[in-house]
Amino acid sequence: MDKMKILVIDDEKPTLTMFRLTLNAYGYAVLTAENGKDGLEAFELERPPVVLTDIKMPGMDGIEVLRRIKAIDPKTEVIVITGHGDMDLAIRALDLDATDFINKPIRREALEQALKRARERIELARSQESQVSVEPGPNAIVIRIRGNITSHSEACLQQACREAFSLQKGKVILDFDSNASINGAGIAILTQILVDGRKEGITIAISGLSDNFKRVFKIVGISSLAGIFDTVEAASSP
Amino acid sequence: MKRFTDISLKNKIFISILAVILMISAAIAFLARWILVSSLISELELRGIAIARTIAERGSGYVLDRNYPRLLSLIFDEAQLNERKHLVAYIFIVDQENNILSHTFTYPFPAHLRTANRVPPEEGKSVQLLTVGNQAAYDIALPIHEGIYRIGTVHVGLNKSHIDNLVSKLRFTFLGFISLVFFIIFIMSHKLAKYITRPISKLTRLSDELSRGNFDIQLDPGSATGDWDPSACPAYVNTDLPCWHFDDASAAREGAAEPSEHRHTCRPCVFYGKREGDEVGQLADSFRSMVWSIKLYRRRLHESEDKYRSLFDSGPDPIFVVDSSSLKIIDANPRAVELYGYEKHELVGRSFLELEPQNPRTGTASFAIDSDAHGCVFYQKVLHQKKGSKPVFVNLHACHISYRGRPAVIVAATDITEMMEKDAQLIQASKMKSLGEMSAGMAHELNQPLNAIKMGSDFLAMMMENDLEVSKENLQQVVSEMSTQVDRAADIINALRAFGRKADFVMEKVDINKPVRGVFSIVGRQFELENITITMELAKGLPPIMAHDNRLQQVFFNLVTNARDAIMEKNQTGSPRAGGTIRIRTYEADGHVVAEVRDDGAGIPDSVRDKIFDPFFTTKETSQDMGLGLAITYGIVKGYGGDIQVTTRRTEGTTFILSFPVPG
Repeated sequence: MDKMKILVIDDEKPTLTMFRLTLNAYGYAVLTAENGKDGLEAFELERPPVVLTDIKMPGMDGIEVLRRIKAIDPKTEVIVITGHGDMDLAIRALDLDATDFINKPIRREALEQALKRARERIELARSQESQVSVEPGPNAIVIRIRGNITSHSEACLQQACREAFSLQKGKVILDFDSNASINGAGIAILTQILVDGRKEGITIAISGLSDNFKRVFKIVGISSLAGIFDTVEAASSP
Repeated sequence: MKRFTDISLKNKIFISILAVILMISAAIAFLARWILVSSLISELELRGIAIARTIAERGSGYVLDRNYPRLLSLIFDEAQLNERKHLVAYIFIVDQENNILSHTFTYPFPAHLRTANRVPPEEGKSVQLLTVGNQAAYDIALPIHEGIYRIGTVHVGLNKSHIDNLVSKLRFTFLGFISLVFFIIFIMSHKLAKYITRPISKLTRLSDELSRGNFDIQLDPGSATGDWDPSACPAYVNTDLPCWHFDDASAAREGAAEPSEHRHTCRPCVFYGKREGDEVGQLADSFRSMVWSIKLYRRRLHESEDKYRSLFDSGPDPIFVVDSSSLKIIDANPRAVELYGYEKHELVGRSFLELEPQNPRTGTASFAIDSDAHGCVFYQKVLHQKKGSKPVFVNLHACHISYRGRPAVIVAATDITEMMEKDAQLIQASKMKSLGEMSAGMAHELNQPLNAIKMGSDFLAMMMENDLEVSKENLQQVVSEMSTQVDRAADIINALRAFGRKADFVMEKVDINKPVRGVFSIVGRQFELENITITMELAKGLPPIMAHDNRLQQVFFNLVTNARDAIMEKNQTGSPRAGGTIRIRTYEADGHVVAEVRDDGAGIPDSVRDKIFDPFFTTKETSQDMGLGLAITYGIVKGYGGDIQVTTRRTEGTTFILSFPVPG
């Protein structure tokens, strides 16, 4: 199998150098571009499945690059690199269907995780496996969620929830797979579900989120609608 | 003659008059005596001749008849007639042979008389002074004729003592008259001299009193008539009028000549009216007016002196009077004592250079020494030293004056230390605000090198953990890059620290390009992210200016952030990321170092163009912005003696032109 191609777009040359070294060591074929324009050209040319792009760049910024790439190929995994703690930009990027984000300075683990999730999502998309499944557990009903939750996922997610709510178990756990990614539309859908569940008197808990999305959920206010736990076990314990 | 000039005027007049009268009297006396005495004597002689002629005519018959008794009776009658007996001493008649025919002597005829006075044949008469007995007498001899024959001679002796008696009586009377006249003149001249000199000596006394400073004296040296009330004059109360009396014509001509405070001399004043006639009285009036004028001016001088003294003493700022040549302090007010910490006696006599130790060639001292300098000068932010060498910043006003007849400089100092501290605090606060505003950008900026370092070190760690071989080339690359990035982060922090540091009060020599670069290093990258390019055309080898690097950074920071805002404002209407250009130029022109900051942003509307440097003026609506940025910028530039010009065109951009003087 060919090395997976990754396109890295950053206006910082030293950062690009480091990316190249690191990603090479991870076994990827690394393409680099110093600005948005070059990045898009490289993307058109090479069509890498994963794109890492800095957001703050002179000229065309990361948000614009993201929009254009998504316009060319919506399935591309675009991971945006944001300044440390700049969640507003991260959420804006998620709204534009970015699949993940990494804070600068980039920690090795965060980069590894993000790349791993991206790979898994790509695999998942290839296998065409259902993204959402309902599994009744001992104390609660568990809805397993994998891959990218976007506006396309609305129908099946709604259906799964209705199914879960109808079982009248009293507690529903939304268990996200570690590779799950939720964009802006997905967050809206999820919020709607949580509000609906509360109306019906059903306790909803969330588990298994990656650290990135835990932070996003906290910021968008989902954490106030549902308890967030690390694992299904922790979530299902009364 | 010298002695004459030394004596008093009174005596001069007196003596002069007396001398003249004396001379005239003497002349008259001699003349009169000569005329009177000689005419009296000749008159008496004529009387004697007349007697002799009468006897000669009446007695010729008796002589021919030899009727001597009749002849005798004739001569006795003639001799004893009325008053003649006093005058006529004797009468005798002789014949041709000088024989005595008859005589009036009561004693034997003095023989020498017979031939003592002969009448020469050709003469009609002969007069001779003879001595008869113990008396002197004028012997008048007249021939007695009968027909053409001379038949004898009649001698009439006039009593000389009687004549002398008459003459001396006349002389005595005349002398007495002259003496009387002289006496009267003496008294009169004395009075006159006294009359003339009395007011003068009185005026002299008054003048002496005035000279001694006693103005509370009776001011009526002459005999001026009483109803004279100085307090009736308007100027008596309004001392701003040029004369305490003023032109009284204003009362006559309605409003024609209002009492004016701008007139410097007085027109003739009715109030000052002089009496007709007596010049001495006029002099006295004039003198009285003069004294009142002096009194008034003295009063005004006192008032003025009091006023300025109280200004000097109560003024809120220290004031010094400094001798122009020695630069020693002559006087200082209480505030100066308070501010500088010296006692007054310590200040007086101290050299002003001790208070102003900086640049003795250029500061107040040079102004004081420069005798050609006129008017006043103003020095800003001068460093002075209080007692114990404690610094104090002052603004100085210095003016040339004459102080007690010597050229001096009056120096008023305003303590601006606190103001400068407040300024510094304000500038600092504004800077801190700027720092706050750019903290996000700076964090991003600092994040870049940190990211590279982090990734580099993570890479190395990963390779080590996984026991993978790192090529030497890669290792070299990572290590050197990390080092570079650490430097970069350190540079950013240094730039920030330099910017945030509070400036000293003392200015230093600054190359203007340095703060420009400093600001660029702070904001350049951030602006780039906003698609704003900063281009710099910095002239090399510019002369340094006196300023603070740190504050100039703030100036440029304010200008470029304003430029950025202007560009953003322009782009709001169009494409938000269209960006713009800020051009910074430095160059030297006309002895000034000039820095230009030009943007191609929205420009400044004409309506607010004049207000942009006003404090608290801001166009930014959503604002934590206090509107102090440009005001502070302006203040800083002005503080260095510089200037800011603005040219702006709507939608085409704005250029700020800063010019700073090059220190000589």
